Amino acid sequence: MNKIVVAVIFGSRSTEHDVSIITALSSIIKPLELTNKYQVIPIYISKDGVWYSDPRLSDVSLFTSGQIDSLMTKLKPLALQFSDGLNIIKPGLKPKTIKIDVVFPATHGTHGEDGELMGLLEMANVPYVGCDMPSSVLAMDKALAKIITTYHGILTSDFEWFYAQDFKDRPQTILKQLARLNYPLFVKPVHLGSSIAISRVKDSMELKNAIEVAAHYDNKIIVEQAVNNLIEVTVPIIGNDKLTPALVEQPLLKGEDFFDFDTKYMGGGGKKGKSAKGAQGYSKLPAEIPQDLYQKSEQTALAVYRCLGCSGIARVDLLIDTKTKKVYFNEVNPLPGGLYAHNWRQAGKSSVQIVSQLIELAEDKFQQKQKLATSFKTNYLKQY
Amino acid sequence: MYSPRLPNYLVYMLQSCEYQAMPYLKWLLRVRDFSTVMHRRQLDNTKRAKLLLLALRIGILSEIAIGIVLIILNFALKLPGLWAFGLAIIIAYPLIWPLLVVIPLELARVFIVQPKNQHEIEQAQKIYQSHPAVKIAVAGSYGKTSMKEVLKTVLSEGKKVQATQANHNVAIEHAKLAKKLTGQEEILIIEYGEGAPGDVAKFTNITHPTHGVITGLAPAHLDKYKTVDAAGEDIFSLASYLKNKNVYVNGQSELAAKFLKPSFVRYSNQGVGDWKVENVKLSVNSTSFQLVKDKQILNLKSELLGAHQVGVLSLAAMLAMEFGLTKAQIEQGIAKTKPFEHRMQPYQLSGAWIIDDTYNGNIDGIKAGTALLRQLSAKRKIYVSPGLVDQGKETARVHQEMGQVIAQGQPDMVVLMANSVTEFIKQGLVQAGYKGELIIESDPLAFYQGLEHFVASGDLVLMQNDWPDNYA
Repeated sequence: MNKIVVAVIFGSRSTEHDVSIITALSSIIKPLELTNKYQVIPIYISKDGVWYSDPRLSDVSLFTSGQIDSLMTKLKPLALQFSDGLNIIKPGLKPKTIKIDVVFPATHGTHGEDGELMGLLEMANVPYVGCDMPSSVLAMDKALAKIITTYHGILTSDFEWFYAQDFKDRPQTILKQLARLNYPLFVKPVHLGSSIAISRVKDSMELKNAIEVAAHYDNKIIVEQAVNNLIEVTVPIIGNDKLTPALVEQPLLKGEDFFDFDTKYMGGGGKKGKSAKGAQGYSKLPAEIPQDLYQKSEQTALAVYRCLGCSGIARVDLLIDTKTKKVYFNEVNPLPGGLYAHNWRQAGKSSVQIVSQLIELAEDKFQQKQKLATSFKTNYLKQY
Repeated sequence: MYSPRLPNYLVYMLQSCEYQAMPYLKWLLRVRDFSTVMHRRQLDNTKRAKLLLLALRIGILSEIAIGIVLIILNFALKLPGLWAFGLAIIIAYPLIWPLLVVIPLELARVFIVQPKNQHEIEQAQKIYQSHPAVKIAVAGSYGKTSMKEVLKTVLSEGKKVQATQANHNVAIEHAKLAKKLTGQEEILIIEYGEGAPGDVAKFTNITHPTHGVITGLAPAHLDKYKTVDAAGEDIFSLASYLKNKNVYVNGQSELAAKFLKPSFVRYSNQGVGDWKVENVKLSVNSTSFQLVKDKQILNLKSELLGAHQVGVLSLAAMLAMEFGLTKAQIEQGIAKTKPFEHRMQPYQLSGAWIIDDTYNGNIDGIKAGTALLRQLSAKRKIYVSPGLVDQGKETARVHQEMGQVIAQGQPDMVVLMANSVTEFIKQGLVQAGYKGELIIESDPLAFYQGLEHFVASGDLVLMQNDWPDNYA
């Protein structure tokens, strides 16, 4: 029986390039290989945007040891061909063409998770795992996501957004626009994930600095009002139409802290004395919150997932005011780091089950799309 | 064949076969590609391995050098035909050295190791004969090491006990134990690792046991014994030596039943002697029960897993009573019993419970494991096995039975490692109407190493049996 050819695309021109490598190699490629059902093709996009494919790219030690740099000097960049789906062409004396059956995007942040890669895959008309282009664009634009969810009646903390260039050109106007918000505030680059360049500010002086930091990474910035009596939770969800939430997870934070990059990926769980590495040790799983808030969190997360049009997998971050018992939508991550496998495992789904289900969901979504008409007969051209 | 790593592959093969010529040569005949032999583990760089590696490398290089010299001489001295001989010598090295390497090993075995061992065994015989301790011999096709460890743990609570190490259970290991004895020991526990007809009789003559425990009979080492009955006769020669007194036999071993004598004391999960087992409670990391006789009650809890351990623990408790240990000492001793490495050893992985029984090598162990799998509750039950090695002519029958036994364990998923017995297990599963998921894994190492990706919270995984490289 021929195996389904799955291309796992990772890396890319993104501040989350390294996180993407670990997601791809540890949480996607390895479990896919273990199913024995798929032929897995690793496709690595370098930090300068060159595409490569080679079986050795599945080995995490290649990246941790830095040997990837010397390998890239030996490998020839990959060529793509859109012909009856997606084909990759491995260069060489006799170029080898491989038809890809399903793509598993594993890129985080810009030039990948933000919808760019999904647009490419839509053009290629190939099934791919996870959120489609429109939902990825919405999810990865924190301001747009908040505008859409607010329209659908989902509670979010009060916010303002603006372009970085506008702040450079007219800082006073922007600061005036922000003055209606109550401190403390959070300043975030709109498109970045993994909590990169996020600042919590207590006054206008800190605000200016934080905006300058965020502007270094993004052209669009969002400033949000902090939620009081805060408990931050996150809910991974899988599915297209029929949705399944994993466990509501509560990152372990000090009162003044937030869910930053170090906490997420650099064993910041040490903050609570747990010797944890990565995502598994810095959170309460399931969240230790009252049952009504737990259910409300699940419902809010599912509502956000639906109204942004997510599919496959995503993770919804929420903020809870424990006094008012209000649950606020914070942001959506359309490709959770490591697929949030630690949470799914705790919820009873193994990594092998997750990747297998995601491939099935990708194929289902693709089949549904193929049923849609893409041509419309008109006499438009005849008039010329 | 012409890989520069050929010496490593050959020494690895020898090491995996415990430097035994016949298994090594049999494996050698099956090898099509030397680069695939070193799959499950790496060469252990022992002194013996290093010495053999060096000898092989020097030998191979010398042979190649001689070939080159002959070719040069052909042209230098104009001796026609010498080049062909030289070339033949070079080409032939991968055929010559895999066979040649056995000769020094066999010579060393016959002229050095065996005489030295024989001398030590003769010394041991005298030591055991004069030693005043109770000497408990533990024999059987399976479960010997666990039984020995349980007895040692429990009896040590009130007596000075010495026992053979780990699963070291042949005559030279008995001699090593004898060397350590001070004469002050009150109880000696000696494991008998039978491998060929006459082994157990030989062990009894060396160790002079006063008590015998027979843990069960199953098809094992049939390459030497040929039939299970022949293995049974050898194992039960222990009872003959003891004149059928102080013999304790696993009453749950069906194949051992025909060898039972009225004077034997049977132990099982129902009890031992006059002691009855009550209120058995099984969990994924402990077993508890009461041992009751008249008004005496022992409340026993162990970290050993499975109903089949109840009999073993009961026997240890009863013997402890007979040897004068108090109730408190016995209960404390039983509480200290733990699974031996890779023998029904539970651990947690990614929220799932894994029961590692990969050292099990017989059908009775599979029955015990799958019975536990059936009894425990879990969100998803997964059974993993490559099958049993050394089943001789019984291979097909045993593995069909194994398939049926696995099905009775009611796992949601069965993972079999692809090899020569897989089809037989599949047939057994089909015969028993197994309806769950069946996965045939072609790369066992990748599966075991990636197990964390297969499991999730609420899963219960039973991993049984091992299939070392030399059976590939």
